[in-house]
Parts: sequence; C-alpha cells; structure tokens
Amino acid sequence: MSTLPTWMFLAPFLGALLVGIAGWSVRGLVRPVALGAMALTCGLSVAALLGTLGGEVLVTHMGGWPAPLGIVWSVDRLGAFMSVVVAFVSGVALVGSRATVRAELEGRETGFYTCALLLVSGLLGMTATADLFNFFVHLEVASLSAYALVAAGGRGAPQAAMRYLIIGSLGASLYLLGVGFLYADMGSLNMRDVAQLLPETDGRLASLGAAFMVVGLAVKMGLFPLHGWMPSAYGRAPFASGAMMAPLVTKVAAYGLVRMLFWVFGYERLQGGLLLEVLCWAGAAAMVVGAGLAFFQRDLLRLLAYSSISQVGLIALGVGLGNVSARTGAVLHIAGDGLMKGVLFLVAGALFVRHGIRKVDDLGKLRGREPLLSATVVVAGLSLVGIPPLVGFFGKWYVLVGALEAGRTEFAALIVIASLGTVAYVFRVLEKLYFAPRTDALPPAKPGGAMAMASAAVLAVAVVGLGLASSVVVQSFLMPAMEVP
Amino acid sequence: MTVGVLLPVAIPFVAAVVTLIASERYARLITYLAAGSTGLATAWIVPQVVGGVAPSVRLLPLVPGLDLALRVDGLGMTFGMLAAGLWVITSVYCAGYAEATHLANQKRFFASFAGSVGAAIGVAFSGNLLTFLLFYETLTLCTYPLVAHNENRESIASGRRYLLYALSGGLAVTVATAWSWSLAGTLDFTEGGFLAGKASEPVLTVLFALFLGGCGVKAAIMPVHAWLPAAMVAPTPVSALLHAVAVVKAGVFGCLRVLGFVFGPEALEGSMAPMVLAALCGTTIVVGSVLAVAQDHIKRRLAYSTIVHLSYIVLGGALMTPLSMTGSIVHMVNHGLAKITLFFCAGSIYAAAHVDKVSELGGLGRRMPWTFGAMTVASLGLMGVPGLCGFVGKLLLGRGALEAGQWVYLAIMLGGSVFTAAYLLPILKNAYFEGPATAKSGEAPVAMVAPIVAVAVLVVVFGAVPAVMGVQHALAAGVAAGVFGGNP
Repeated sequence: MSTLPTWMFLAPFLGALLVGIAGWSVRGLVRPVALGAMALTCGLSVAALLGTLGGEVLVTHMGGWPAPLGIVWSVDRLGAFMSVVVAFVSGVALVGSRATVRAELEGRETGFYTCALLLVSGLLGMTATADLFNFFVHLEVASLSAYALVAAGGRGAPQAAMRYLIIGSLGASLYLLGVGFLYADMGSLNMRDVAQLLPETDGRLASLGAAFMVVGLAVKMGLFPLHGWMPSAYGRAPFASGAMMAPLVTKVAAYGLVRMLFWVFGYERLQGGLLLEVLCWAGAAAMVVGAGLAFFQRDLLRLLAYSSISQVGLIALGVGLGNVSARTGAVLHIAGDGLMKGVLFLVAGALFVRHGIRKVDDLGKLRGREPLLSATVVVAGLSLVGIPPLVGFFGKWYVLVGALEAGRTEFAALIVIASLGTVAYVFRVLEKLYFAPRTDALPPAKPGGAMAMASAAVLAVAVVGLGLASSVVVQSFLMPAMEVP
Repeated sequence: MTVGVLLPVAIPFVAAVVTLIASERYARLITYLAAGSTGLATAWIVPQVVGGVAPSVRLLPLVPGLDLALRVDGLGMTFGMLAAGLWVITSVYCAGYAEATHLANQKRFFASFAGSVGAAIGVAFSGNLLTFLLFYETLTLCTYPLVAHNENRESIASGRRYLLYALSGGLAVTVATAWSWSLAGTLDFTEGGFLAGKASEPVLTVLFALFLGGCGVKAAIMPVHAWLPAAMVAPTPVSALLHAVAVVKAGVFGCLRVLGFVFGPEALEGSMAPMVLAALCGTTIVVGSVLAVAQDHIKRRLAYSTIVHLSYIVLGGALMTPLSMTGSIVHMVNHGLAKITLFFCAGSIYAAAHVDKVSELGGLGRRMPWTFGAMTVASLGLMGVPGLCGFVGKLLLGRGALEAGQWVYLAIMLGGSVFTAAYLLPILKNAYFEGPATAKSGEAPVAMVAPIVAVAVLVVVFGAVPAVMGVQHALAAGVAAGVFGGNP
C-alpha cells in the first residue's frame, strides 16, 4: 500500500484549488503557485518511477477498502513512465506559457492555470487508475478542462470548443456505455477483477462492451475517421492551451486504450478478432490521410493538428497489431509524439508572440531571425519523419517490426507512404525556415517568449535523449510491463 | 583500440557543430583541421585492417540486442579512406573555390560538408544494418542543404527532388532492415551474409528489391538516377566530393555490403534477383553513356559519366564472383580519384573563365595548362588506359564477367569505355584545338590548382605504383575471399 499514485494526481488538483484562491486574493501568486504544484507533481512522478524500478507495483486502496469493492489506483513501471512523460511535458509547457498567456489570456490567468492543472490532474489519474469507472471520471476531468482551455481562445474558439465538447462527450458516453455492459455482465469495475472474471463469462456482452469502449476512446484520441473535433479545436485554441493539451490529451487516451485492451481484455482473447483489425486499418488510414492533409494546411496549428492525427494513427496501428513489438512501439510513440508536439506547439506560441505569425507561408519571412526556434523545429520535424536516432524513428521502428513479424506487409507499405507524406509537410516547413528568400517584410521581433524558447529547447533535447535512451527505456520500463499479468 | 575507430566518424560531426557555433571566418580553418585530423585518424587504422584485424567498437544500444556499432573491415576501410583522404584535398579546393566565387553562407556550407563526410565514413565503418541506416539517413540530410545551397528556384527544386529520391530510398532500406531483423534476429554484417535459410525465396526477392532499390537510389542506377544530374546545381566542390565520391559511393558501398554481407552467395544461389540487378546496371551503362555524349553542360556530362561508372561497380557486385567483387572495390576507389579530378577541373574552369559548357571551351587549354593537363590525365585514367588508375578495376571487372560466363557484360563494359572516350575527349579537343578563348582569363588560383594536381598525381599513383596498388588490391581481394570463401 502506497499513497503515491493518488498524490500524483491530487497534487495538481489541490494546486488548482490554491491557484483559484490566489487568483481571488493575491494575483501575483497565481503563476508561482501553479508552477510549484507542477514541480511537486513532477517530483512525485519521478518518485513513482524510482519506486517501481525493481518491478514493484504501487497500489492505493481508497479509504482502505479492498480491491473489488473499493476504488484502486495502481502504478507499475509502464504507468510510472507515462506519468513522468505527462508531468514533464506539461510542466515544461506550463513554464513556457508565460508569454503566450500574457499575449492572449491577459486578465484570465487564474482560469488558465486552474484548468491547466486540472487537465494534468485528469491525465495523471487516467494513467494511474485501476478502475474502469474511475478512468471515466479522470477522463472527464481532463476533457472538461480541455474544453475550457479551447473555449478561452479568440475568434471561432467558442464554436470549436462547443464542437469538441459535443463530440468528446459522445465519446465519453460511448466509453461509459461499454463499461456499463461489462458491469452488467460481471458486476465489477476493477480492471484486474474484470480480467479475472472474463474467462468465466460467455463473452458476448464483454465483446459489445469492448467495442463501445474502444470507439469511445478512439473519439478521445482523435482516431480517423473520428477526428473531426481536432483541427478546429487545436487551430482555434489559444497558444498556451494548445501547448498544454495538444501533446498529451489524445496520447493519454491512447494509453488508456492500451491498458483496456491488453490488461483488461487480454491480447489472446482479442488476437485475430475484428476489433483489432478495425483498429489497425483505422490507424493506417489515419496515418496516411493525416499526413496528406497536413501538407495542405495554411494555418500552422492546423498543420500540427493533422500531424497529430497522423501520429495517433501510427499508435493505433501499433495497438491494433498487438504483438509485443508493435505494442512497445505504440507506447514509445505515445511518449515520443508527446515530446515532439510539445516542441512544435511551444515554437508556434513563441513565433506568434514574437512575430505575430500563424500561417505556414509566413514562416519564410523568419529566414535567419530565429536560429534557436528553427533548430528545435528541425529536431522535432526530423523526429516526425523518423530519422534515427531521434525518438520518432524508434516508435516507428517497433511498429514496423511488429507489422512484419505478424506478416502484415500491407501495413509496412502504408507506414512508408505515410512517412513520405510526413517528409512532405515537414520539409515544407523546414524549406520555408531555411531556404526562403531573405526579406525585410517583418518588423523586428517583439521581446518576450524567452521561456517558451527555452522550454522548446528542453523538449527538443528530450527528443534526442529519449531516442538515444530508447533501448534502455524499452528494456527497463516497457518490455517488462508488457508481460501482462 | 576503440577510440581509433571512433575518431574518423566523430571528428567531422564535432567539426560541423563547432562550425555552426563559431564565427564564419573560422569556418575554413576548422575544416582544414578537421579534414587533416580525420585523414590521419583514418590512415592510422589502415595497417591494422591490412594486417587482417577488424577493429570495432560498440557505443550504445539502439534497440535491445542491437547496438550502435562500428567495425572496420577491408571494404569499410577502402571506402572510409577514400572519403577521408579526398576530404583533405577537397578542403583546400573548397577554400579556393569559396574565395574565387564569393560563396555565400559559408558557415552552413562547411558545416554540412563536414557532416556529410562524417556520415559517409560512418556508413563505411558501420558494423550492422541499423548503424548503416542511421548514417545513411544522416548523409541524406547533411547533403540536402548543399544541393539547395544557392537558394534559387532551380537549386531548391533540385533539393526537393534529391530529398524525395534519397528519403524514399532510405525508407526502403528501413523496411528491409526491420524485416531482416524480424527474420534473422541479427543485423551484424557477416562475411557471406546472414539471411541464407532465414526466409523463403519470394521474401528474399522482395528484401533484395528493397535493399538494392534503397541503396540503388544513391548509386543512381536507372531508373532512379534523375536526382544526380539535377543535383549538379550545387557548388562544384559538393559535386566533386559528394556527388562523385562520398554520397554516390555510399549507395554503391551499400549495394556491395548488402550483396556480400547481408545476403551472400548462399542466400542468392539460384535466384534471378542478382541477374535483374545486373541487367539494370548494364542498361544504365549503355543509356547513361549515350546521354553523357549528348550533354553540353560539363558538370551534367560528368554526372552522366558518374552514373555509368557507378553501375560498373554495382554490376561487379551483382555478378557475384570473387574477381568481379574485387574489381568493384578497386574501381570504387579509382573511379572516385579520376572523377574528383574531372570535377575539380570543371570547377576551376568555371571559377577562372566562367565557362560551364563544353562548346565554349575553345582555346582554354593553353590558358589553363595545369587544369587541362590534370583533366587529360584523369580522362585517360577513366577511359582505362594502362598505367593510370582506371585500368586495373576495369580489367578485374572484365575478368569477373568472364568468370561468371557473362560475355554480354564484358561487351557492355568495353563499349562503355569507348563511350567514355567519346564524351571526355571532345572536352579536351575543344580546349586544345578549337579557336581562341572567348574569355581573357588565366589559370585558376593556386588554392584550386594545387588540389587538382594532387588528385591527378593520385590518378597516376593508383595506376602505376605497385606498392599502393598492392595494398589496395589485397584489401579488396581479402573482402571478396571472405564473402565467397577461399584464398585471397
């Protein structure tokens, strides 16, 4: 029994309350309190990582109630790794949000920091929970914060948020409906308990439940063709909100999918079934379509949204293929794309603050002006393309190996096609940054954005670092945890 | 001696980073130092490799069970020494060219150049396929800024084309590498290959197509050659070292690596795949030769000549006999020496007289005696005149074709040599015997002429000095013996 799993999501939750109080009394304390809570959260997640290194599982029983009846949070090596990624990326994004908050959310800092912390709380709860219903609760905490974060934006943001809210709530309801089927069948909501009870049922209700849960989570992770909310939500959200939610919200939903499919239902049961097959094809289609559409976007944020749709496709393909290699690739890519998108959304924010740029074509005017930001875009972009030894290569590599191990060469071919699309949209941006004709069309950069630049640089270093360390990470966190109990 | 293996790969990358950080006026100095030390560090390993030891180092795990590993065998040593040695000479030439043509953005230029050379040496020294892939992709990315360097519409379009071709090739190699890993559970380059018996015939054929297609892009085998003539928009030192030696030879080297150390004669026994590859190379030799004659732009003519000679080398690998493989490795070096001389000359003509067409060379031969003297030596060398560097490789390749019982390829090779004369000699004829020079210009600056003379001397040395040729041949024959079994 350890209380660490609960403190991990309670720290940002309580931090959110404190931010609210600070905003009501001493406005100057809002950001320090939020950053303090985030630092504490990072510390706790690292503690969880260290605590699980030897293979231990940290378990909290809420109120001391034993497993099937009480609510349980548990963190194993994989969960701890995900928690560190979530805490680290959102922490760095929060540090980098000062200038973008000032530029777009002046006077609404309290709301932003409260929602941002609630979002982190929800995401960490999702990674730590061992209860199907409780997962829904954390999912909704995260989602509601995300709706609010999007709605805070300017022109078009309320509509985008409303759209996101409606589609997202539909997804959450589908998930809940699926959980309802499982509960009706087995009378339990505890993940481990359900996994043990499943073999004793005839499996019909469970299959139905699984289908609803997968579709619900697919909406939340923006899996093609259920991605409709993403481009407008990411495109219209304030830059500060985008950097907080875009790298992680869809990824943690994908992580939830991994947990549900392999820890609750079990790969042996699902192998060769329709559910995984559909997931594979949806993922493959998302990869290709997302990359293709990203190329044609004019708005930088919408380009990034379609890029996310494409990367989520690769993750879904890895989950759908389901063997250990592909699954490893999916989880590694969840972390990897979180870092890459963190870099790119922070850069987008910094460029907006310093130059007022939000169109891809305007990037050419930056020629030579922003060497550090351009360099971070190079790192993140090449990682998206899949250049070794950056982390994006390894996620793709494991999924590719998984596809070939399973004898599914068609998916290997689709990964190649999607990668070519990625090359196209990434180099469209890089060519603008490095080979556009020099002009004086742009006034000198406004001051500010230093924190955003530093944060982007930190995440870019992490893209390289996680790539170089990926073998160690896979061996010590992902592979052992993939040996599903 | 682990550090010794690491240095030739590490120094150029460190130099690239330092060049980017330091002030632009230090760019050339850093390149001199880096090229010199890389050359020395590479030469330092040569005696060991000639002595039959393959020094190696494992750096860090990339994937569980698969390390970033360097291992220098005879094949890697040959290519690595070629790239590192010629970089020393090219760095001097580069500086002279940059001075004479007022090259812009030298920081990016020299940094990318160093990175490309480091990646090429990395390709040479790779101990397994994943390490090879890593450097192969790095090479593509480091060369891209050099192709697009002039930043005009044409060079940016060429850059795009280059990226499209090279990254597609890289993806093919990626898939093939992942596939080999899932089939064989190892990716370490092994003499005689590691895929034999690991997969069914159709799968092996698909793998062959992916590997050779992927490496063939950089080796500019038709029909995936079109990026190379387009890449001639790059500054001439880039064309000289990268698009005649380092980048394209990385593709050729990859083909030989895959043929000898991934598949091997056993896995390809009875397969039609090498014959298809040989046929493609034969076609490339014929078509490329004809196209070369038709080019008026000197660098484009040389580019088609490169395409032709790269296919000689890959053809030698595809014929899969000890002699042809030996000939391939020897010709890989010797073509590089002759071709870099020709490109240096083209660059010096452009820098001194602003002429880049064959038809406008009239009278320049007398005004630029050193340049055209070197060009004459290199042209004769590439044609295969005995006593110069091209002869030995072509002789071995021809004997290899006979050994394989493929008369038709012997005929194609001989025809290709005749064509080499047909597209190189008119350049000399125009320069020496046509009317007076249109431009009133003298010889190129010393910083360009000295490297030209140096590589021209190498063309002679590698065709006439038995000690040098003996070492070169021993390395190549050792590789072939390892792959095919038997005594070198």
